[in-house]
Amino acid sequence: MTRWNALPVLLVVVVLLAMTAGSGGAAPAPARGGTLTMVIGSDPPSLDPHRTPSVNIAHAVMYETLVTVDRRTGEFIPGLAESWEISQDGTAITFKLRRGVKFHDGTPFNAAAVKTTFDRLVSKETNAPGASWVGTLTRTDVVDDLTVRLVFSKPYAPIFSSLRISFLAILSPTAIAKMGADYGQNPVGTGPFRFKQWIPNDRIVYERNPDYAWGPAHYKNRGAPNFDQLIIRIVPDESTRVIAFERGDIDILPGAPARDARRMMREGKFPFIQIPTTSGTYLGFNVKKPPVNDVRVRRAIGHATNTDEVARIALEGLAVPMLSPIAPTIWGYWDGVKQFALNYDLDRARALLAEAGYRPGPGGAMIKDGRQLEFTVWTYARMTNVRVAVVLQSQLRAAGIKLNIEQMEPATLLASTQRGEHDAIMISYGWPDADILFYFFHSSRLPTTNRVHYVNPQVDKLLEDGQTTVDTAKRLEVYKQLQRILLAEVPWVPLASELSVNFNQTAIQDVYYDKFGNLLLLDAFRTR
Amino acid sequence: MFHYVARRLLHLIPVLLGISFLVFLLVHLVPGDPVRVMLADAGSPEQVERMRRQLGLDRPIYVQYASFVVRAAQGDFGRSIHTRRPVAQEIAYRIPYTVRMAVAATLVAVAMGVVLGAIAAMHHQSALDYGTMVVALAGVSLPSFWFGLVLILVFSLHLRWLPPAGADSFLHLILPAITLGTGASAIIARLTRSSMLEVLSQDYIRTARAKGLGPRRLVYRHALKNAMIPVVSIVGMQFASLLGGAVIVETVFGWPGIGRLAVDAIFTRDIPVIQAVVLVAAVIFVFMNLLVDLLYGLLDPRIRYG
Repeated sequence: MTRWNALPVLLVVVVLLAMTAGSGGAAPAPARGGTLTMVIGSDPPSLDPHRTPSVNIAHAVMYETLVTVDRRTGEFIPGLAESWEISQDGTAITFKLRRGVKFHDGTPFNAAAVKTTFDRLVSKETNAPGASWVGTLTRTDVVDDLTVRLVFSKPYAPIFSSLRISFLAILSPTAIAKMGADYGQNPVGTGPFRFKQWIPNDRIVYERNPDYAWGPAHYKNRGAPNFDQLIIRIVPDESTRVIAFERGDIDILPGAPARDARRMMREGKFPFIQIPTTSGTYLGFNVKKPPVNDVRVRRAIGHATNTDEVARIALEGLAVPMLSPIAPTIWGYWDGVKQFALNYDLDRARALLAEAGYRPGPGGAMIKDGRQLEFTVWTYARMTNVRVAVVLQSQLRAAGIKLNIEQMEPATLLASTQRGEHDAIMISYGWPDADILFYFFHSSRLPTTNRVHYVNPQVDKLLEDGQTTVDTAKRLEVYKQLQRILLAEVPWVPLASELSVNFNQTAIQDVYYDKFGNLLLLDAFRTR
Repeated sequence: MFHYVARRLLHLIPVLLGISFLVFLLVHLVPGDPVRVMLADAGSPEQVERMRRQLGLDRPIYVQYASFVVRAAQGDFGRSIHTRRPVAQEIAYRIPYTVRMAVAATLVAVAMGVVLGAIAAMHHQSALDYGTMVVALAGVSLPSFWFGLVLILVFSLHLRWLPPAGADSFLHLILPAITLGTGASAIIARLTRSSMLEVLSQDYIRTARAKGLGPRRLVYRHALKNAMIPVVSIVGMQFASLLGGAVIVETVFGWPGIGRLAVDAIFTRDIPVIQAVVLVAAVIFVFMNLLVDLLYGLLDPRIRYG
C-alpha cells in the first residue's frame, strides 16, 4: 500500500469507530489474568518439532515461524521474518528478521538461530519426520545478524505453506546445544506462551511470556497474552471431552464430534465457530487390482456415489461435498473443476458398467463372467469413517455394486496397503497445499504414500512442475490440469471435506481461528 | 518361609523371559511398523532406512531380543521409539496413577462384593439372595466404557458432584474406581456367598450356634474370616487384572495411567514400551500371586510352607 491510498482506509476506520461508539455497544475491554483451559485428544509425542510426526496447538502456542497467515485473508504475512525476497530463479529466499525478539531462555533471536534450527531439521542425524516439509532446501546462509537466506537445489513452490507450520518453528540455539535429544521435554520457543510443565497423558501447562511484543499483524493485541496461564488438557474419550466442556471444566473445545456438535448447536448454550478444514475424505482404489483396475468401473463407482448425501447424512451436515481430490480450502483448488466432477448419475454409472461388460443379474447385481461386481474397502475403525462407508455401501448397492467394509487400526492399514493387498481404502488427509497430490500420485511415492499404486508419466511430470513452478498463476494452471486428469482416471473418488465446529464458554471472548483451522489466542480474554 | 519366597522369586526369571520373548515375537509378527508411524506419511524410503538403523530395528529379531534382555537386566529399557523418552521414565510417571486407581477399585470391589455376598448368604434362597445375585450379574456384564460414561453423565453433568476427567485430586478417583470396581465386586460377591454358605454348614458353626451365639456375632467373628480364604485369592488376582481393565477406564476418564500408555504404544508399534509395560504387568501379577499365597498362611494356620 502506498501512502496515498492509506487515507480513505483511515477514513473508513474512523467512520466505523464512530458507528460503534454511537450504538453504545462497545465491546468489553480485555481483562488481564486468569487461566485458559482447552482440551485435545492425545499427547503430542514430543514438544520438539523435529521429533514428532505431527504438530498441533501444543506447539503453536509456544513456537513461532518465519511467516504466518493472515486470519482473514489467508495470505502470508510476517511472523518472525519482517519481509522476504525470492530470487529470480526461485532457488533462494532471503528473509529480513524481526529485531528485538528473544527466546524464552533469554537467547536473542537472529539469523544464527534460524540457521541452527534448519540445519538441525534437515540433518541426517536428526532424521526429523518433518524434514520433508522443506523440500529441496540445500543450505541456510547467515547473511548478517538479521538476514538469512534459504537456498534450494531447485525451486520448491510449496515452501511458504510449510514455513508457517510449527515443524519449521525456530528453536533456541542455546537450548539445542544444552538439551540435545531432550529438547522436547524442555521446549524453548519465542511464542506468546512459555512451557511450564507436562504431565504425560494428563496436561501441558504454559505460562504467559511477559516479554512477548511481536504478535502478528492480524491481532489487536500484539503484546503478551491476556491470560497468565494456559492449560491444554488431554482427554482421549470424545464424549468425556464434551461433558467436561459442558460442565465448565474446559473453556475451549476445538473440533467437537459431529453428533455432539449438532446437539450443542441446537441447544445454543455456547458460542461456536464453524470453520472449513483442509481435510479431505476419499475412496482410493488399488488401480492394479481387479475389478477396480478397470477405469470404467472406477468411473461408474464415482457416478454412483452421492457426495451430497455423504456430507449430509454420514457427516451430520458438518462437511462439504468434494468435487476434486483437492479440498476446496486448499491452495490449488480450482472452481472450474465442477464441469469435470463425477456427478451423481445412476444411469451413467449403469451405462459405464455395461460398457465394461457387466450385465444385471438377480436382484439387480451387476455380473460379469458369472461373478458379481464386488470390492472391499478398508477404513479406520473410527465412527465417522464407518458411517461414510455404510452410506457409500447403500448407494453403490443401488447401482448393483457390492461393497464390503473392513475396519482396521491405522498402523495395520498403512502396512497392508503398501503391500497392495487392498481393493480400496477410505481415509482422510489434511494438508495446506495442492502439493499433497505429489505424495498420493507420484510414482516415486510407490508403495508408501501412493496407496493407489498409480503410475502415469504425465501426472508425474505435472506433479514435479507443481513443486518447481514459482509463478503462482502458472502453478495454478498445473493443478487445474492435474485435477482434470485425476477426475478422468479416477484413482480416487473424492467424498467430502469436514467442517470443524469449535465451542467456547460464553465468558471467553475474541478467540479466532485462521482458515486452516488454527486457534489464535493472543486477543482472547475472560470477561468478568 | 524365606526359602519359599526365594524359590518363588527364582521361578520368576524364566516366566518373565518367556513372556518377554512371546511379546517380542508378537509385536514383530503384527503388521505395521513403528518407523512408518513415526515418520507419518512423509518419510522417504531412505529416511525410513536411516531411522530403522538408528533404532537398531534393522538387526535380526534374535539379536534385538538378546540386546533387550541384556539391557533390561541392568534396568535399562531403552528409549521409546515414539516419544524418545526413556521407557523407564515413561512407566515411572504412570505407575503411581494406575496403582492408585487399582487400589481404590479393589477397595470398592471388596467393600461391595463382601457385603453383598455376606447378605446373600445369610438370607439364603430368599428374595434378597436372588436380588443381590442379579445385581452382581449385572455388575459383571456391564461394559465399562458404557458404565463409565453413564456415571459421568449422572454425577458430572447432571448432579455436578464429581469431575469427569483428570487426575488432580481424590475426587477424580471416585468415578473410575466405581466403574472399575463394580465389575470385580460381582465376582467377589458370588464367591463370598458360596464360600459363606459352605462355611455356615460346617460343624464348628453349628457348635457355636448351639452354644447360643447370635447370628451377627456368628457371621462376623467366626464365619466371615474363614469364608475369606478363597476370596483373598480372587482379590489378589482381581487386583492384577484391574491393571489390565484400566485400559478402557483410563481412556474414558482421561486418567494418565499405564493402561493408556500400553494402548498408545500398541497403536504406534512402540516395541520397547509394549515390552516394558507387559513385563511390569507380569511382575505385578506374579507378586500378587505370591502375596496371596503368603496371606493364606495367615488366614488359615493349616497351610504350611516347605
